[in-house]
Amino acid sequence: MVQDLTSLTAYIDGEPYLFDEGDTLLNFVDRHRGRGHVPTLCDAPQLEPYGACRVCSVEVALQADGPRRVVASCHTPLTAGMHVFTESKKVRNLRKNIVELVLTDHPLDCLTCEVNGNCELQTVAAKVGIRGVRYPEGANHLDRKKDLSHPYMTSDLSKCINCSRCVRACDEVQGQFVLSMHGRGFNARIIKGLDTTFEDSPCVSCGACSQACPTSAISDRFQSKSIEATKKTRTICTYCGVGCNLDVATKGNEVLSIQAPINAEVNHAHTCLKGRYAFRFYNHPDRLTKPMIRTNGHFEEATWEEAYDHIFENLTRIKKENGGQAIAGISSARCTNEENYLMQKFIRAVMGTNSIDCCARVCHSPTAWGMQKSFGTGAATNSFEDIEHTRCIMVIGANPTEGHPVTGARLKQQIMKGTPLIVIDPRKIEIVPYAKHHLQLRPGTNVALLNMMARYILDEGLVKRDFVEKRCEDWDIFEAGLRALDLDELEKITGVDKEKVRAAAIEYASSEAAMSFHGLGVTEHQQGAKTVMLIANLAMMTGNIGRPGVGVNPLRGQNNVQGAADMGCQPHQGAGYFEVDDAEVHRRYEEFYGVKLSEEPGWKIPQMFEAAIDGRLKALWLMGEDVVQTDPDSEHVKHAMNSLEFLVVQEIFMTETAKFANVILPASSFLEKSGTFTNAERRVQRVNASVKPLEGTKPDGQIMCEILQRFGYPQDDYTPDGVLAEIAQIVPFFAGATWENLGENGKQWPIAKGGVDTQIMHQEKFARGLGKFHFFPWQESTELETNGKEFPFILTTGRILEHYNCGTMTRRTGNGEIVTRDELAINPADAAKKGIHTGDYVKLASARGEVTLPARVTEEVKPGILYTTFHFPENMVNNVTGPGCDADTLCPEYKVIAADVEKVESGDGRQESRTKSHGAPAGAV
Amino acid sequence: MSKNLSHLSFRKGIEKNLFERMVSAAEEAGTAENPEFVRSLGEDSLFGDAITLGAVSFYDFTKAENEGKKVLICNGSACLCAGTQEKLHHDLESHFKAEEIGHICCLGRCHQGDAFQYEGKNYSGQEAGALKDLFESGQGDDSDNYVVASSLTKPQLTAPFPGIDTYYESFRALLAKGDREALAVELKDSGLRGRGGAGFPLHFKWAGAKSSPGPVKYIVCNADEGDPGAYIDKYLMELQPHSVLLGMMVAGWYAGAETGVLYIRAEYPDSVRIIDEAIADLQAAGLLGKNILGSGFNFALKTIKGAGAYICGEETALLASIEGQRPEVRTRPPFPTVEGLFRRPTIVNNVETFSNLHAILTLGGKGYAAIGTPQSTGPKLISLDSHFAKPGIYEVAMGTPLLDVINMAGGFKTEIKAIQIGGPLGGIVPISHVDKLTVDFESFKNAGFLLGHAGVVSIPETMPMIHYIQHLFQFTSDESCGKCFPCRLGSTRGKELIAKAREDETYKIDPELLNDLLDTMEITSLCALGGGVPLPIKNALQHFESELAPFFAGKPQAALKH
Repeated sequence: MVQDLTSLTAYIDGEPYLFDEGDTLLNFVDRHRGRGHVPTLCDAPQLEPYGACRVCSVEVALQADGPRRVVASCHTPLTAGMHVFTESKKVRNLRKNIVELVLTDHPLDCLTCEVNGNCELQTVAAKVGIRGVRYPEGANHLDRKKDLSHPYMTSDLSKCINCSRCVRACDEVQGQFVLSMHGRGFNARIIKGLDTTFEDSPCVSCGACSQACPTSAISDRFQSKSIEATKKTRTICTYCGVGCNLDVATKGNEVLSIQAPINAEVNHAHTCLKGRYAFRFYNHPDRLTKPMIRTNGHFEEATWEEAYDHIFENLTRIKKENGGQAIAGISSARCTNEENYLMQKFIRAVMGTNSIDCCARVCHSPTAWGMQKSFGTGAATNSFEDIEHTRCIMVIGANPTEGHPVTGARLKQQIMKGTPLIVIDPRKIEIVPYAKHHLQLRPGTNVALLNMMARYILDEGLVKRDFVEKRCEDWDIFEAGLRALDLDELEKITGVDKEKVRAAAIEYASSEAAMSFHGLGVTEHQQGAKTVMLIANLAMMTGNIGRPGVGVNPLRGQNNVQGAADMGCQPHQGAGYFEVDDAEVHRRYEEFYGVKLSEEPGWKIPQMFEAAIDGRLKALWLMGEDVVQTDPDSEHVKHAMNSLEFLVVQEIFMTETAKFANVILPASSFLEKSGTFTNAERRVQRVNASVKPLEGTKPDGQIMCEILQRFGYPQDDYTPDGVLAEIAQIVPFFAGATWENLGENGKQWPIAKGGVDTQIMHQEKFARGLGKFHFFPWQESTELETNGKEFPFILTTGRILEHYNCGTMTRRTGNGEIVTRDELAINPADAAKKGIHTGDYVKLASARGEVTLPARVTEEVKPGILYTTFHFPENMVNNVTGPGCDADTLCPEYKVIAADVEKVESGDGRQESRTKSHGAPAGAV
Repeated sequence: MSKNLSHLSFRKGIEKNLFERMVSAAEEAGTAENPEFVRSLGEDSLFGDAITLGAVSFYDFTKAENEGKKVLICNGSACLCAGTQEKLHHDLESHFKAEEIGHICCLGRCHQGDAFQYEGKNYSGQEAGALKDLFESGQGDDSDNYVVASSLTKPQLTAPFPGIDTYYESFRALLAKGDREALAVELKDSGLRGRGGAGFPLHFKWAGAKSSPGPVKYIVCNADEGDPGAYIDKYLMELQPHSVLLGMMVAGWYAGAETGVLYIRAEYPDSVRIIDEAIADLQAAGLLGKNILGSGFNFALKTIKGAGAYICGEETALLASIEGQRPEVRTRPPFPTVEGLFRRPTIVNNVETFSNLHAILTLGGKGYAAIGTPQSTGPKLISLDSHFAKPGIYEVAMGTPLLDVINMAGGFKTEIKAIQIGGPLGGIVPISHVDKLTVDFESFKNAGFLLGHAGVVSIPETMPMIHYIQHLFQFTSDESCGKCFPCRLGSTRGKELIAKAREDETYKIDPELLNDLLDTMEITSLCALGGGVPLPIKNALQHFESELAPFFAGKPQAALKH
């Protein structure tokens, strides 16, 4: 359609410009004259127009010489032909008068203020030309006390100008409602929670308020708005799979603070406390800075050359004696695509085995496998942006506000505004009170519940027959399976009222656009991959594929778990998901790597442990993976580690696993390296080194290149663009990715040559051609069948906002002060029977072993269900998790453990402060 | 204010609305600012603790600061000008401790002065002996008596109520005919403009809400008549309750809304009670509920009692208040007809506006427009304060000379130098200008004043104009929601400037500074509170220059140069 250009023209100080529909005057002027041309104090790009400060006042007229009136530009819509006068004497005076009023209640201590030089009030005051305050001294609020109670957040409300940006950020960005204005008029002031300190409030420390505050009224320990930094580097967060962009402020080789870029498509000026504040691990004294070689049972420092030599000698010997099959590698989803690519290349091309796996094995391998079976691609079908377009959100086995906080916040924004939410989860997680449907099923019954939903969709006549017929196959098999289900029996199995399931099914199926999100509560089960395929079935049978606001969207756990699998860190598929036992694929890889390769699929992680224990696996190379603390049944894993002849660990800290190593290579953290991460929406984004590697350490990519070279493979020295170019040649969906064209916001694969990327997959047809239906009956977990009698509780595990996985990094930051321990959640009814109170120490036992930890009595879990996290090595919760795993992918069954609990000793009633108050889930005790 | 909070509040709905729970918590406990209440409401509504605390700390009747106040003295303009409150305060001190005496702004007893609220009832004009009886025995006379008169040959707003059957005849006919387009024509022909002060054409507003999409819409009656000196809406609610209810029902039927809410200020306890009774009567008569008279029209009415905040008379603040949010003014567009209560299309009109619908239905649009002037049609009520010989409510046709109204009331009892018409944000008309004005929007606007809601406060000769200006700044500063900078800061600095000039003989106000302050407030404030108060102050500077000159460094009129 040809736009009528004249209808979209307006004038700024006489000059004509085109405007966008929906523009406010301020957007329009900002775009053409630059942000700041019209000053403002209360407006911020990440917030809705508010209209409080009135400093952005401009004059408008319908004709150049027509009558003018003064309006606030931030919330006045632009109309065609409008004349905007930004610099008339009248508005300049008005602005100056307002800012003068502001300064009557603001300390005049700019020179000693932390934001001196980067204070928006200071900038605006200078711009409007304030020389002094003419009012006689009057009432003011300069004596307000600072709040320094919190490990991160600080406030000094004597600096507050009552713009409410912080309140709005807490509402519109994070959705937490921790901040508000109190009282009215001149004495209105910002409060936190019940008018308390940051520490005692339910603040989740996301820092959105601090970033939004135009002065230093709300700030943080890192003084992230100070201009001390000499450099800002844009990079990608190292924690979860959301892939938030970060602006890292540095001075010399020191990281001062981190903020979220306004223009980041993934996170729009937002991060969680991990991304923004939990970076101090990077130069923690515990960092490994010297290669170490185990000699006579203890570690001795070595040079890099000595370490490489030692590795070369041992791996060469083991390969010679036992063949390449005796060697395996586990790569890291925390490392870059380039590093993962190089690691698998080393294992395949140099060690000659396909036994390369990564931590996707223990999290989303069932997703990758299951979605490949159903759709042809093991990745999210849609993008985070679709959250704003969907009409129904279904969250299955995921706790996004804790695990994927920025996406969680984005979901919550829509849910609060009325988008219906279905939560399928054994726990009352933070978003449950906002949900229209909560199906609180017994752990381990996902397949039963989703089958029920599918059957109700069928019974209600809500199957999109057109879509199913045109786009899918094997519907008949699925339909027949559904018809044979006994819904009453499934109701008993899941423990969920079938009418509730029916209502949720109708909600999902009758929505114009329904979008599902799932997490490890889906995958870490014996029927994990089958559950994924069932979610895919639900999407296909309701036509929720290939459009905005729909799809199947795994919330990937780690920053680059998508990328690690994409790069071929899987034993059955090489870079780009090609089956290694396919002759044509094999030929292509051999040609590309220029060496002979193994045709045998390699071992998955649990198989590696078995092989180590029974002597078939002699050597293991671990890049950034703490299997001892994070994999299930810790004693079993330790046994495997002890059984190895040779273990190489590339790490940044002395982890529980590194303690077993023969050689430790000190690697660099994400802040010290360049490469790419791929987030949960397939977005390949540039990681840029913000500081030089800590002395003595090397980025993993460099280590892998040097190792390849040491083994005689002709690999160039590491450069991120060079390795990415190599990847683009072998991974078809990276074909159009270049270091340059990824730009600031990256690209979502598949990236075609020329750089065109993909926000929504499977639009015309599925990657595998037709979408494939599968039917699976529910099966009870063997863990419960075998051990359920002796251990009558079901333990399920997860993670919390403040800590990341085994906490290697987060425990070494201020997050460790916010949450200091793992706790066991237990229902009040069970607690009463066992005489357990919040804070008491309890023994948690399973068929594998037992651990002691403090209890938290809460309605968050149903009777018979227990829940905990495994962030702290003191607890080693994985001593109790078991050997059960997904039948298709061997992903461990972390979510269903037969357990028992007994009180050990009375506690002090203490509870982690945030778990006590966050989000106020209904009925939380 | 917050979209999220509006939507979360919608989940609770209007029946269990969060604001009423705040108010009743305060009634039970003396304040709603207590942690247990705040937390329980927050958990239930999904509002954070801070949000609820922020809201309850806003209102005079829910905030902790006013806990323990036993008697509340009116500090509105009319009582101030009546000169009764200092003595009243003194009298009350013999019955209450100083900390038990609080303030309240305008009980609508402007025709009498001496007003105060005690145990939820309003009193005025009490003798010292009566006070003693009241506080000792709890027995007192809270009756409210004033003149009601009309200059119309056929009174419209002040006609005696003929009973539900007769009064709602025109409404029943409307439902029976079922022609909304025909009503639209009548509304347009009537030329009715909003009576709350802004004078916005009613048919535009109603058509806007009617055409806004959405299954849920609301009719909200702004019965937060906060202007000191005005008791017009109070009169209508207490003596003509069906006039406003009928108007709301017509609006609901026309726009497709099934719920009507009357937000009535807590300072008018009798209004709440009488409206509730009238709603019950309507229910009994089968005129409310589902499928009214078989027409398919469903409508429910509900009153919500305010909690002491003048700003709630501003429509967006009022809507936020009902939602349980802080009643801060929000930017428009979107207007309430598109995004109103709970972000659903909403018609907000004041009491007197709705009360005019009966006349439109019975006279027809054209017949209605025959009353008044071409631009300002229909009848208008005016409330007169205690300085008049016969204070009360006067109904006149728009366009009637102001002097006629004064004469109807028997003139002034005392010597008056000016009248302020249209509330604290209305103009100050020097007595010499009274004969130049007629009661309509245009006459006042052209002369540099404001008809507003047409409450009249007489400023006696004995009241120093500088004191009255300080009172206006004080009022604005007390009632500012605090959102927009010019109002929040400007009203306080203005108040301080005037106070300093009054207290400190060596300090003279810089007219240039006051000019900058008034201009900035007037032009840039977000709503009519900060934007309105400069008008009467400018009127005073212009018309009482010599009286004000001693307080200025230079000519006071220099503060009016733009």
